[in-house]
Amino acid sequence: MASQPQKLAYVDGKLGAPTSGQQTTRILFNTIEAPGTTSTLVFFRNFQGLTSGQTNLTQNKLDSMESMIIKTISLYNYAPEGNLRNFGGAVQQTLSIIVGNQTVVKQLPIQFNQGTNGQAFDRLHENGGAEGQALGASDVLQNTLPCEIRLLTDIVIPPQVAFEVRIDSNSAAYTAAGAVTCVLSGYGKIFSAGNSF
Amino acid sequence: MITAQDKILHVANKLGLTSLKDMQASTGAVYDVDTDLSGQIFSNAARHQNPSITNINENQFEVNEALLVETIAFYVLNAGGDTENFQRIYGSDTDIMFDLIIGNKRVMKDTPIFAAGSPFTFANTANFTAALGPNNLQFFAPRHQVFMEGAGILIPPQVQWSVQYTIFNVVSGAVVAPTASTQIGCYLFGTKVLLNFNTSI
Repeated sequence: MASQPQKLAYVDGKLGAPTSGQQTTRILFNTIEAPGTTSTLVFFRNFQGLTSGQTNLTQNKLDSMESMIIKTISLYNYAPEGNLRNFGGAVQQTLSIIVGNQTVVKQLPIQFNQGTNGQAFDRLHENGGAEGQALGASDVLQNTLPCEIRLLTDIVIPPQVAFEVRIDSNSAAYTAAGAVTCVLSGYGKIFSAGNSF
Repeated sequence: MITAQDKILHVANKLGLTSLKDMQASTGAVYDVDTDLSGQIFSNAARHQNPSITNINENQFEVNEALLVETIAFYVLNAGGDTENFQRIYGSDTDIMFDLIIGNKRVMKDTPIFAAGSPFTFANTANFTAALGPNNLQFFAPRHQVFMEGAGILIPPQVQWSVQYTIFNVVSGAVVAPTASTQIGCYLFGTKVLLNFNTSI
């Protein structure tokens, strides 16, 4: 089985993308403020008005010398008071990742990986969505964990190719005054000038 | 898959560190706390008490010592010197954005650690629940770390390193300032190389 560095080097090589650069661990994230009740959330499309604590990109693509592997997807649903809630309540939702004009993850169900009724896909996250006992409406301590899914096949985001993450549901209720965040993490390469300058 | 030892030797070879291969391989961690509230960790370790605040005398390793960073984690040090969970002190809706700098190179950039539990901890299960008073309510205190499974990063001998960070509120986007009683600490854990005199003395 190819490791994350091997897969990234292979795909970058096929695409003719630069393979030099600093190897690192890369985590991309994007936030949607006040999502409310909706059937579609699209992450990594809008960056306007977001601070560095809400996203670490300014456009929906990596720089020309940067690429990464998506190994883990995490989803957070923040209530207005800041505590974490189940992502979209308890209804079924699906996740799709679109890189360029190609859907590379298609309608992957996420609901199994969170909540008290969760049946996580892998043993690593068997308690990933476990929920402690309710702490009441004004609780300040966290009793829910983020929804996290680990991909079996590494997905590559090449340099300068637009990507987005789409969540589809039948009118799932996210927090009206809070925020939702999507995080993509894995191995990556970042621009390294080396001795070029 | 390249092992930690292979990666250390590969980088050492690139850097011309020919004697590193003869040193003692080990496991190690370095830690420090931003007592100045300056947004920088490890830079001022030389002024910090050992071991209550840090376990290094300066933010660079000695000759023939190195650390392959495989896990980076953040915590809070309170006024009493106790180590606290970041989420317990700052709340679930905050995140730490950090950079790791080695020499004059930024080797990790704009990397988030979420108070609510981070991706890349490899397993969310490594948290604990605790009873909260008479009603026995429970809460989670997630890990706040990045597990670098794809590629560890080597801090070579005699090169300075530091971590720069800022805390934000994810919901509002506002910057959250640490206080003297909520200082941010960081540890770097991984495969260590220790100086070995066996062949020299």
